[in-house]
Amino acid sequence: MKQLEFKKSLKLLKKYDINFVASCVIKDESAFNKVKYPLVLKVFSGKIIHKSDVGGVIVGIKDKEEAVKAFKKLKKVSKNILMQKMVSGKEVIIGMKRDGQFGPVVMFGLGGIFVEVMKDISFRVCPVTKRNAVEMIKEIKSYKILEGIRGEKGININALADLIVNVSKLSLKNDVNEIDLNPVIVDDKKAVVVDVRFMA
Amino acid sequence: MNLEKLFNPKNIAVIGASKDKSSVGYGILSNLASGCVYRCKYCKPFPGKLFPINPHADSIFDLKCYKSILDIRENIDLAVIVVPARIVLDIVNECVKKKVKGVIIISAGFSEKSKWGAKVQKELVDILSKAEIPMVGPNCLGIINAANSMNASFAPAMPPDGKIAFISQSGALADSIIDWSIENMYGFSTIVSYGNKAMLDASDFMRYFDRDKNTKIITLYVEGINDGKKFIRIAKKIKKPIIILKAGRTEQGVKAISSHTGSLAGSYDIYKAAFKQGGVLVADTIEDMFDNAKALANMPKLRGPVAIVTNGGGCGVLCADYCSELGVPLAKLRKSTIKKIDDTKKMHPAYSRRNPLDIVGDALPERYDVAVDAVLSEKYIGGLIVIQTLQSNTRPEEDAEVVIKAKKKYPDKPIICTYMGGKFTKKASNMLEASGIPDYNDVKKAALAMKALMSGIPR
Repeated sequence: MKQLEFKKSLKLLKKYDINFVASCVIKDESAFNKVKYPLVLKVFSGKIIHKSDVGGVIVGIKDKEEAVKAFKKLKKVSKNILMQKMVSGKEVIIGMKRDGQFGPVVMFGLGGIFVEVMKDISFRVCPVTKRNAVEMIKEIKSYKILEGIRGEKGININALADLIVNVSKLSLKNDVNEIDLNPVIVDDKKAVVVDVRFMA
Repeated sequence: MNLEKLFNPKNIAVIGASKDKSSVGYGILSNLASGCVYRCKYCKPFPGKLFPINPHADSIFDLKCYKSILDIRENIDLAVIVVPARIVLDIVNECVKKKVKGVIIISAGFSEKSKWGAKVQKELVDILSKAEIPMVGPNCLGIINAANSMNASFAPAMPPDGKIAFISQSGALADSIIDWSIENMYGFSTIVSYGNKAMLDASDFMRYFDRDKNTKIITLYVEGINDGKKFIRIAKKIKKPIIILKAGRTEQGVKAISSHTGSLAGSYDIYKAAFKQGGVLVADTIEDMFDNAKALANMPKLRGPVAIVTNGGGCGVLCADYCSELGVPLAKLRKSTIKKIDDTKKMHPAYSRRNPLDIVGDALPERYDVAVDAVLSEKYIGGLIVIQTLQSNTRPEEDAEVVIKAKKKYPDKPIICTYMGGKFTKKASNMLEASGIPDYNDVKKAALAMKALMSGIPR
């Protein structure tokens, strides 16, 4: 399996109406002059599968000075650097893998330790309907966190479900073996993909 | 492909029938001739004509024995094949020539054993598919149609006749379940063990049982499924409730299966998701599957909150706890209902006057009658759990009669019983079961049964 090129990945997401966070590839430090902070810098390369393992992601960059420092640091990891708007909300993961029995299967879970340690995830076989998608969001044990606790605003479950349905459509029509949308940031208005990996 | 003659043939040829009591060929012919090897009251002989086939015998069980199926003059509906694997191909060719309407291959030694076996198995499927003859197996237990008195298997006996179809990838599990079902008066319409599922697999049988008039609910024990997508596509179209028990959930389990039936199991999480999408209920244990099936086969859907009538306060509270934990709604008894009960002047002064309706330990059948009728007659109450604990003056059989009467009077509301106990409650429990009222020995199971009746029929 090979990782799909970053630009091709973005094109594929766009084709299926899956929002990707505002980003641009940057070549030099001049990019930091007319931008809104905070922002995120990260590397992208077909060879790097887990960006954070190689120190390839720096978040919460508050000003130009920090940005320049981060840029220099990342240059040592890879020459391909991406600048992204820093978005806040709940962190979720949406994935897809192909099962020998059922074909493409979509996975949903809450980001961070919930997926890795608690294995609090839900699955649906494609095609995933909107109803299926809503069920799989509500099915995880940590759903209460997404609903918002102690006065917090809950997430827009509708937008998140639409995204899951679109991942299902994409999986059925394209020759990708695995998808990782990790993380997807979702708030009370929208769901935005912050990092993507397609394995073809 | 039409499976009708596999399940309802008018006559059967047993190829490989034998006089040797230790052989499978003997067991199958004996099961067909009398219904069982182990005697029990549910065993009935196959009503149609039987043709044992064995070149080395003249007659078996006073039945004329033939050297080949081609020597029989009549047309044959079903051929049950129980000969060594190496000659199965020849036998199947004869069956095709004879234009049989269905074949069960009991013989083992195919894809589960060797490359040669897998090759022959494929040939068998090709030949039979071309001739449009449905085939169950190879490497299977066979088919037991209790509703039509056909035990075309080497299972020990025939289960009681009932409304549950059981489709099992494992023959041995089906065997033990038959023994258990006889002891527990648990009824099946048909049991089919499909072994290597070379031609027909679980989804084909589900489709057949959906149209079978004797079946109300379909249960499955499955290790691996050949075509997962097909299974779900078909499950979605089935109108009857389906409950599935899936083995091979853990890596260890999957290894055991690979060496067992030669099929590959997918990850259990994915299976569970797929089953859910197909409207299939997933059971965790064998007991769980058949407990739920019993309720779904015999009782209507629960359409309102549940009342509990009990002669033991503790058991009532425990049952109410389980109901609320499981999300089964409990009815709040209205004043008018209590007044109706009070007006009969049959209640103990200390009865609970609320749900769970505790009619007190010394309750005689009359008190059960008043309470059961009062709650079931109310429109706002959707179903009833009746608990009976055994005390010195309790009359279990008469209490069972009360519930049996209520079931006839209120056929649209589910009634579940928990006649707790053992030796001295058994007779009453059997009476309930025989009348199609599910009885469980634990209040949690009663709550689970109500839960199944609440959401269990997603169609």
